[in-house]
Amino acid sequence: MASADKPINTDVPEKDVFALHFLQSLSNLRRQNTFNSPEKTNDRVKKIKKAAYVSMARAAGGTSRLWSRALLRRAAKETNKVVRFSRRKKRVTWLRRRSNRRDPVEEEEKEAERLRNLVPGGGAMETSKLIEETAYYIKCLSMQVKVMQCLVDGLSPK
Amino acid sequence: MSSSRRSRQASSSSRINDDQITDLISKLRQSIPEIRQNRRSNTVSASKVLQETCNYIRNLNKEADDLSDRLSQLLETIDPNSPQAAIIRSLINE
Repeated sequence: MASADKPINTDVPEKDVFALHFLQSLSNLRRQNTFNSPEKTNDRVKKIKKAAYVSMARAAGGTSRLWSRALLRRAAKETNKVVRFSRRKKRVTWLRRRSNRRDPVEEEEKEAERLRNLVPGGGAMETSKLIEETAYYIKCLSMQVKVMQCLVDGLSPK
Repeated sequence: MSSSRRSRQASSSSRINDDQITDLISKLRQSIPEIRQNRRSNTVSASKVLQETCNYIRNLNKEADDLSDRLSQLLETIDPNSPQAAIIRSLINE
């Protein structure tokens, strides 16, 4: 049942892909006049952060990873957009939840639970799938952070 | 510290199997600075890797928060005539 010998692929796209998506998101925000309006600072920050995560999910392949799909779905729910995803095996969610409640005793499972809370969509994944998604997620997240850091450095007054 | 030996995982098939753990540990080790400094290369336990991973993700989220904050301030006060703005404009209009 579990794919025993499949090597985990964790090649992420280049940094430019992340940068491009993020800049596009920012320019969308700009077009909506987010930066010039007398909005509360907190809202602005939240919008930027959300743009960062959404653009990261898109750069990483959109709906091809479970975590990016979960991120996009979450973001779409917040803006009440109608999002169409192909039906996945929802049964896995249910089965996984049941066996989690039965024996969260082993140390790895405890840590895996914590990890599940941190990775988007983690609650629906089997442990081995969770690990694969996590490796990819970490790389994308650190790439996104690098892009943001570069942007901040570039924009800061010398 | 025999509590987290890998032999425990072999018992049930829904657990992480050994091959994937080895693969993952090597992959994660490359991405996580703390573990890279750990000399005992093959004896890093699965739960330690997961733990470091959680911490790493939390740190990244925190960094993203801080950077969003900074970006919000910077984008608000950016002078439209400065060279930085020109760069951003050209990048965005591409």
